[in-house]
Amino acid sequence: MFRTLMTVTVAGLILTGCNSLPADSTELAERTAPLEYNTVVFTDYNLSRTWNDGIRDAGRTYRLSVENHGQRPTETGTTEVFAVLRNHTDFDYRIEVRTQFFDDYGVPVDARPTWQRSTIPANSVSAYKTLSTSTQPLKYRIEVRELN
Amino acid sequence: MKKGTTKVLITGMATASLLLVGCAGQIDNTRGKATVYEDASTTGRVGGVGIESQDIVAITDQMMRDMLANRMLAGRDIPPRIIIDNEYMRNESSSVVNTNMLTDRLRIELNRASNGRMIFVGREYAGMVQQERDLKRDGAVDGGTIRSTAAQAGADYRLAGRITSLDASDRSDGTQSRYSQISFEMVDLELGTIVWSGLYEMRKAGRDDVVYR
Repeated sequence: MFRTLMTVTVAGLILTGCNSLPADSTELAERTAPLEYNTVVFTDYNLSRTWNDGIRDAGRTYRLSVENHGQRPTETGTTEVFAVLRNHTDFDYRIEVRTQFFDDYGVPVDARPTWQRSTIPANSVSAYKTLSTSTQPLKYRIEVRELN
Repeated sequence: MKKGTTKVLITGMATASLLLVGCAGQIDNTRGKATVYEDASTTGRVGGVGIESQDIVAITDQMMRDMLANRMLAGRDIPPRIIIDNEYMRNESSSVVNTNMLTDRLRIELNRASNGRMIFVGREYAGMVQQERDLKRDGAVDGGTIRSTAAQAGADYRLAGRITSLDASDRSDGTQSRYSQISFEMVDLELGTIVWSGLYEMRKAGRDDVVYR
Protein backbone atom coordinates (compact mmCIF):
# COMPACT_ATOMS: atom_id res chain seq x y z
CA MET A 1 0.00 0.00 0.00
CA PHE A 2 2.79 2.39 1.01
CA ARG A 3 4.81 1.51 -2.10
CA THR A 4 1.82 2.15 -4.40
CA LEU A 5 1.16 5.48 -2.73
CA MET A 6 4.81 6.52 -3.17
CA THR A 7 4.81 5.50 -6.83
CA VAL A 8 1.68 7.49 -7.53
CA THR A 9 3.08 10.53 -5.70
CA VAL A 10 6.41 10.42 -7.57
CA ALA A 11 4.65 9.98 -10.91
CA GLY A 12 2.39 12.91 -10.10
CA LEU A 13 5.36 15.10 -9.19
CA ILE A 14 7.20 14.18 -12.38
CA LEU A 15 4.12 14.96 -14.45
CA THR A 16 3.76 18.29 -12.68
CA GLY A 17 7.39 19.02 -13.48
CA CYS A 18 6.73 18.31 -17.17
CA ASN A 19 3.79 20.71 -17.35
CA SER A 20 4.39 23.95 -19.22
CA LEU A 21 3.83 27.16 -17.33
CA PRO A 22 1.36 29.44 -19.12
CA ALA A 23 2.52 32.66 -20.76
CA ASP A 24 0.83 34.78 -18.09
CA SER A 25 2.57 32.97 -15.21
CA THR A 26 4.57 35.17 -12.87
CA GLU A 27 7.09 32.33 -12.45
CA LEU A 28 8.65 32.81 -15.89
CA ALA A 29 12.39 33.48 -15.80
CA GLU A 30 12.16 36.18 -18.49
CA ARG A 31 10.01 38.40 -16.28
CA THR A 32 12.79 39.04 -13.81
CA ALA A 33 15.86 38.44 -15.99
CA PRO A 34 18.37 41.32 -15.89
CA LEU A 35 18.47 43.59 -18.95
CA GLU A 36 21.14 42.37 -21.35
CA TYR A 37 22.62 44.04 -24.41
CA ASN A 38 23.49 42.61 -27.82
CA THR A 39 20.70 40.11 -27.46
CA VAL A 40 17.32 39.04 -28.90
CA VAL A 41 14.38 38.68 -26.52
CA PHE A 42 10.82 37.48 -26.95
CA THR A 43 8.64 40.03 -25.19
CA ASP A 44 5.61 37.89 -26.06
CA TYR A 45 5.93 34.84 -23.81
CA ASN A 46 3.55 32.89 -26.02
CA LEU A 47 6.41 32.61 -28.49
CA SER A 48 9.08 31.43 -26.06
CA ARG A 49 9.33 31.10 -22.27
CA THR A 50 11.48 29.40 -19.67
CA TRP A 51 11.09 28.66 -15.97
CA ASN A 52 13.08 27.07 -13.19
CA ASP A 53 10.58 25.70 -10.73
CA GLY A 54 9.86 22.30 -12.28
CA ILE A 55 10.81 19.05 -10.57
CA ARG A 56 13.28 18.50 -13.40
CA ASP A 57 15.75 21.05 -14.76
CA ALA A 58 14.63 24.37 -16.18
CA GLY A 59 11.62 24.02 -18.43
CA ARG A 60 11.14 25.67 -21.79
CA THR A 61 8.27 26.04 -24.22
CA TYR A 62 8.83 27.71 -27.56
CA ARG A 63 7.35 28.26 -30.96
CA LEU A 64 10.08 30.49 -32.34
CA SER A 65 13.79 30.54 -31.57
CA VAL A 66 16.79 32.69 -32.46
CA GLU A 67 19.27 30.96 -34.75
CA ASN A 68 21.75 33.79 -35.06
CA HIS A 69 22.11 37.52 -34.43
CA GLY A 70 24.80 40.15 -34.65
CA GLN A 71 25.86 43.57 -35.88
CA ARG A 72 28.23 45.11 -38.43
CA PRO A 73 29.07 48.63 -39.57
CA THR A 74 27.69 50.05 -42.81
CA GLU A 75 29.77 52.04 -45.29
CA THR A 76 28.50 55.31 -43.81
CA GLY A 77 29.41 54.29 -40.26
CA THR A 78 25.93 53.43 -39.00
CA THR A 79 25.24 50.02 -37.45
CA GLU A 80 23.33 47.20 -39.07
CA VAL A 81 21.87 44.57 -36.76
CA PHE A 82 20.30 41.29 -37.82
CA ALA A 83 18.55 38.32 -36.30
CA VAL A 84 17.68 35.01 -37.93
CA LEU A 85 14.48 33.63 -36.40
CA ARG A 86 13.27 30.06 -36.77
CA ASN A 87 9.65 28.91 -36.72
CA HIS A 88 9.30 25.43 -35.20
CA THR A 89 5.54 25.15 -35.80
CA ASP A 90 3.40 24.02 -38.72
CA PHE A 91 1.85 27.48 -39.01
CA ASP A 92 3.04 30.75 -40.49
CA TYR A 93 3.77 33.27 -37.74
CA ARG A 94 3.23 37.00 -38.18
CA ILE A 95 5.50 38.89 -35.86
CA GLU A 96 6.59 42.42 -34.98
CA VAL A 97 10.25 43.15 -34.31
CA ARG A 98 12.04 46.28 -33.16
CA THR A 99 15.54 47.19 -32.04
CA GLN A 100 16.53 49.52 -29.24
CA PHE A 101 20.03 50.95 -29.41
CA PHE A 102 22.07 51.91 -26.33
CA ASP A 103 25.42 53.64 -25.96
CA ASP A 104 28.30 52.36 -23.81
CA TYR A 105 26.66 53.81 -20.71
CA GLY A 106 23.39 51.97 -21.36
CA VAL A 107 21.59 55.17 -22.32
CA PRO A 108 18.96 54.70 -25.08
CA VAL A 109 20.15 56.59 -28.14
CA ASP A 110 19.28 56.76 -31.82
CA ALA A 111 15.85 57.32 -33.37
CA ARG A 112 12.80 55.99 -31.55
CA PRO A 113 12.49 52.23 -32.23
CA THR A 114 9.64 51.23 -34.51
CA TRP A 115 7.93 47.86 -34.84
CA GLN A 116 8.55 46.17 -38.17
CA ARG A 117 6.09 43.54 -39.29
CA SER A 118 7.24 40.26 -40.79
CA THR A 119 6.10 36.69 -41.42
CA ILE A 120 8.05 33.55 -40.65
CA PRO A 121 6.79 30.67 -42.79
CA ALA A 122 5.94 27.38 -41.08
CA ASN A 123 9.01 25.30 -40.18
CA SER A 124 11.26 27.85 -41.83
CA VAL A 125 13.56 30.75 -40.99
CA SER A 126 13.30 34.48 -41.63
CA ALA A 127 15.90 37.21 -41.30
CA TYR A 128 15.23 40.57 -39.68
CA LYS A 129 17.53 43.49 -40.37
CA THR A 130 17.56 47.09 -39.31
CA LEU A 131 19.93 50.04 -39.28
CA SER A 132 20.83 52.62 -36.72
CA THR A 133 20.81 56.31 -37.61
CA SER A 134 23.82 57.23 -35.49
CA THR A 135 27.48 56.60 -36.34
CA GLN A 136 28.59 56.03 -32.74
CA PRO A 137 29.33 52.50 -31.43
CA LEU A 138 26.09 51.00 -30.15
CA LYS A 139 24.73 48.04 -28.26
CA TYR A 140 21.41 46.55 -29.34
CA ARG A 141 18.42 44.76 -27.92
CA ILE A 142 16.07 43.16 -30.45
CA GLU A 143 12.51 42.56 -29.24
CA VAL A 144 10.10 40.10 -30.87
CA ARG A 145 6.36 39.73 -30.33
CA GLU A 146 3.44 38.20 -32.17
CA LEU A 147 1.44 40.54 -34.41
CA ASN A 148 -2.01 41.13 -32.97
CA MET B 1 -63.74 33.15 -7.56
CA LYS B 2 -61.81 32.04 -4.57
CA LYS B 3 -60.15 34.57 -2.32
CA GLY B 4 -56.63 33.06 -2.87
CA THR B 5 -56.97 33.16 -6.68
CA THR B 6 -58.01 36.83 -6.59
CA LYS B 7 -54.98 37.64 -4.50
CA VAL B 8 -52.64 35.94 -6.98
CA LEU B 9 -54.26 37.73 -9.94
CA ILE B 10 -53.97 41.14 -8.32
CA THR B 11 -50.35 40.55 -7.38
CA GLY B 12 -49.52 39.37 -10.94
CA MET B 13 -51.14 42.40 -12.54
CA ALA B 14 -49.37 44.77 -10.17
CA THR B 15 -45.98 43.19 -10.93
CA ALA B 16 -46.60 43.29 -14.69
CA SER B 17 -47.59 46.96 -14.60
CA LEU B 18 -44.52 47.77 -12.50
CA LEU B 19 -42.31 46.02 -15.02
CA LEU B 20 -43.94 47.89 -17.92
CA VAL B 21 -43.54 51.22 -16.14
CA GLY B 22 -39.91 50.32 -15.55
CA CYS B 23 -39.33 49.89 -19.30
CA ALA B 24 -40.66 53.26 -20.33
CA GLY B 25 -38.26 56.19 -20.83
CA GLN B 26 -35.30 55.17 -18.68
CA ILE B 27 -32.45 57.58 -18.08
CA ASP B 28 -29.13 55.80 -18.57
CA ASN B 29 -27.07 57.75 -16.06
CA THR B 30 -23.70 56.23 -16.88
CA ARG B 31 -20.43 57.84 -17.94
CA GLY B 32 -19.62 57.71 -21.68
CA LYS B 33 -16.65 55.88 -23.09
CA ALA B 34 -13.58 58.03 -22.63
CA THR B 35 -11.31 58.84 -25.55
CA VAL B 36 -8.06 56.95 -25.23
CA TYR B 37 -4.61 57.66 -26.65
CA GLU B 38 -3.08 54.86 -28.66
CA ASP B 39 0.48 54.17 -29.77
CA ALA B 40 0.74 55.54 -33.32
CA SER B 41 3.26 52.85 -34.28
CA THR B 42 1.02 49.87 -33.50
CA THR B 43 -2.32 48.63 -34.77
CA GLY B 44 -5.11 50.43 -32.96
CA ARG B 45 -8.63 49.42 -32.02
CA VAL B 46 -9.92 50.60 -35.40
CA GLY B 47 -8.16 48.98 -38.29
CA GLY B 48 -8.85 48.27 -41.93
CA VAL B 49 -7.03 47.49 -45.14
CA GLY B 50 -5.86 51.03 -45.89
CA ILE B 51 -2.64 52.82 -45.01
CA GLU B 52 -2.77 53.63 -41.30
CA SER B 53 -0.64 55.40 -38.71
CA GLN B 54 1.49 52.35 -37.93
CA ASP B 55 2.22 51.98 -41.64
CA ILE B 56 3.25 55.61 -42.05
CA VAL B 57 5.58 55.32 -39.05
CA ALA B 58 7.05 52.01 -40.25
CA ILE B 59 7.49 53.17 -43.86
CA THR B 60 9.22 56.45 -43.02
CA ASP B 61 11.37 54.84 -40.32
CA GLN B 62 12.62 52.16 -42.70
CA MET B 63 13.36 54.66 -45.49
CA MET B 64 15.13 57.06 -43.12
CA ARG B 65 17.46 54.36 -41.79
CA ASP B 66 18.17 53.08 -45.30
CA MET B 67 19.02 56.55 -46.64
CA LEU B 68 21.43 57.15 -43.77
CA ALA B 69 23.32 53.97 -44.70
CA ASN B 70 23.67 55.07 -48.34
CA ARG B 71 27.14 56.40 -49.16
CA MET B 72 25.96 58.84 -51.86
CA LEU B 73 23.45 60.47 -49.52
CA ALA B 74 25.07 60.30 -46.09
CA GLY B 75 28.74 59.55 -46.69
CA ARG B 76 29.93 62.63 -48.60
CA ASP B 77 32.50 65.08 -47.27
CA ILE B 78 30.27 67.94 -48.40
CA PRO B 79 26.70 67.11 -47.31
CA PRO B 80 24.30 66.96 -50.27
CA ARG B 81 21.35 69.33 -50.50
CA ILE B 82 18.10 67.41 -50.66
CA ILE B 83 14.47 68.34 -51.27
CA ILE B 84 11.87 66.10 -49.65
CA ASP B 85 8.34 67.41 -50.13
CA ASN B 86 5.01 66.35 -51.54
CA GLU B 87 5.51 67.82 -55.03
CA TYR B 88 6.46 64.57 -56.74
CA MET B 89 4.80 62.09 -54.39
CA ARG B 90 1.70 60.65 -56.03
CA ASN B 91 -1.07 58.56 -54.55
CA GLU B 92 -2.42 56.27 -57.29
CA SER B 93 -3.80 53.74 -54.83
CA SER B 94 -7.33 53.15 -53.56
CA SER B 95 -6.24 54.13 -50.04
CA VAL B 96 -7.24 57.55 -48.78
CA VAL B 97 -4.03 59.03 -47.44
CA ASN B 98 -2.51 62.49 -47.34
CA THR B 99 0.95 61.94 -48.82
CA ASN B 100 2.24 64.96 -46.88
CA MET B 101 2.20 62.67 -43.85
CA LEU B 102 4.82 60.48 -45.48
CA THR B 103 7.07 63.23 -46.82
CA ASP B 104 6.81 65.46 -43.75
CA ARG B 105 7.66 62.67 -41.32
CA LEU B 106 10.48 61.42 -43.53
CA ARG B 107 12.05 64.88 -43.90
CA ILE B 108 11.74 65.78 -40.23
CA GLU B 109 13.06 62.46 -38.91
CA LEU B 110 15.91 62.50 -41.44
CA ASN B 111 16.82 66.09 -40.61
CA ARG B 112 16.96 65.27 -36.90
CA ALA B 113 18.84 61.98 -37.30
CA SER B 114 21.31 63.04 -40.00
CA ASN B 115 22.71 65.76 -37.76
CA GLY B 116 24.34 67.68 -40.63
CA ARG B 117 25.14 64.71 -42.89
CA MET B 118 22.39 65.93 -45.21
CA ILE B 119 21.15 69.48 -45.82
CA PHE B 120 17.46 69.91 -46.55
CA VAL B 121 16.21 72.62 -48.87
CA GLY B 122 12.77 73.96 -48.04
CA ARG B 123 11.60 74.51 -51.61
CA GLU B 124 8.01 74.57 -50.35
CA TYR B 125 8.91 77.78 -48.51
CA ALA B 126 10.78 79.42 -51.44
CA GLY B 127 8.13 82.14 -51.78
CA MET B 128 8.37 83.05 -48.12
CA VAL B 129 12.16 83.24 -48.34
CA GLN B 130 12.09 85.33 -51.53
CA GLN B 131 9.68 87.81 -49.96
CA GLU B 132 12.08 88.39 -47.07
CA ARG B 133 15.08 88.58 -49.39
CA ASP B 134 13.30 91.26 -51.45
CA LEU B 135 12.54 93.29 -48.32
CA LYS B 136 16.20 93.11 -47.34
CA ARG B 137 17.44 94.09 -50.80
CA ASP B 138 14.95 96.97 -50.98
CA GLY B 139 16.19 98.28 -47.65
CA ALA B 140 12.81 97.93 -46.00
CA VAL B 141 14.43 95.71 -43.37
CA ASP B 142 18.08 95.23 -42.41
CA GLY B 143 20.25 92.33 -43.51
CA GLY B 144 19.66 90.05 -40.51
CA THR B 145 22.49 88.56 -38.47
CA ILE B 146 23.62 85.46 -40.34
CA ARG B 147 24.85 86.24 -43.87
CA SER B 148 23.68 87.20 -47.33
CA THR B 149 23.89 84.95 -50.36
CA ALA B 150 23.60 85.59 -54.09
CA ALA B 151 20.63 83.26 -54.38
CA GLN B 152 18.60 80.66 -52.53
CA ALA B 153 20.14 77.18 -52.21
CA GLY B 154 20.01 74.90 -55.21
CA ALA B 155 19.41 71.22 -54.53
CA ASP B 156 21.40 68.13 -55.54
CA TYR B 157 18.66 65.56 -55.06
CA ARG B 158 14.87 65.46 -54.80
CA LEU B 159 12.59 62.73 -53.54
CA ALA B 160 9.88 61.34 -55.79
CA GLY B 161 7.54 58.46 -55.13
CA ARG B 162 4.29 56.70 -55.75
CA ILE B 163 1.67 54.72 -53.85
CA THR B 164 -0.13 52.00 -55.79
CA SER B 165 -2.51 49.25 -54.75
CA LEU B 166 -4.28 46.12 -55.89
CA ASP B 167 -7.65 45.27 -54.34
CA ALA B 168 -9.50 41.98 -54.11
CA SER B 169 -12.71 41.11 -52.31
CA ASP B 170 -14.57 37.96 -51.38
CA ARG B 171 -18.22 38.66 -52.14
CA SER B 172 -19.46 35.73 -50.08
CA ASP B 173 -18.38 37.14 -46.73
CA GLY B 174 -17.33 40.71 -47.53
CA THR B 175 -13.64 40.19 -46.77
CA GLN B 176 -11.46 42.66 -48.61
CA SER B 177 -7.76 42.38 -49.31
CA ARG B 178 -5.42 45.17 -50.41
CA TYR B 179 -1.83 44.91 -51.55
CA SER B 180 -0.13 48.30 -51.23
CA GLN B 181 3.19 49.28 -52.66
CA ILE B 182 4.95 52.49 -51.67
CA SER B 183 8.03 53.43 -53.70
CA PHE B 184 10.56 56.19 -53.07
CA GLU B 185 13.33 57.35 -55.40
CA MET B 186 15.99 59.99 -54.92
CA VAL B 187 16.68 61.73 -58.22
CA ASP B 188 19.90 63.58 -59.13
CA LEU B 189 18.70 67.05 -60.16
CA GLU B 190 21.50 67.58 -62.71
CA LEU B 191 21.85 64.20 -64.38
CA GLY B 192 18.41 62.77 -63.77
CA THR B 193 19.84 59.53 -62.44
CA ILE B 194 18.30 57.72 -59.48
CA VAL B 195 20.86 57.46 -56.69
CA TRP B 196 18.72 55.65 -54.11
CA SER B 197 15.49 53.65 -54.16
CA GLY B 198 13.32 52.26 -51.40
CA LEU B 199 10.25 50.04 -51.58
CA TYR B 200 7.73 49.14 -48.89
CA GLU B 201 5.00 46.65 -49.58
CA MET B 202 2.24 45.09 -47.51
CA ARG B 203 -1.00 43.19 -47.91
CA LYS B 204 -3.86 43.53 -45.48
CA ALA B 205 -7.15 41.64 -45.31
CA GLY B 206 -10.26 42.27 -43.28
CA ARG B 207 -13.94 43.07 -43.31
CA ASP B 208 -14.48 46.38 -45.05
CA ASP B 209 -16.18 48.18 -42.19
CA VAL B 210 -13.66 50.96 -41.56
CA VAL B 211 -14.05 54.38 -43.16
CA TYR B 212 -10.93 56.47 -43.81
CA ARG B 213 -11.19 60.24 -44.05
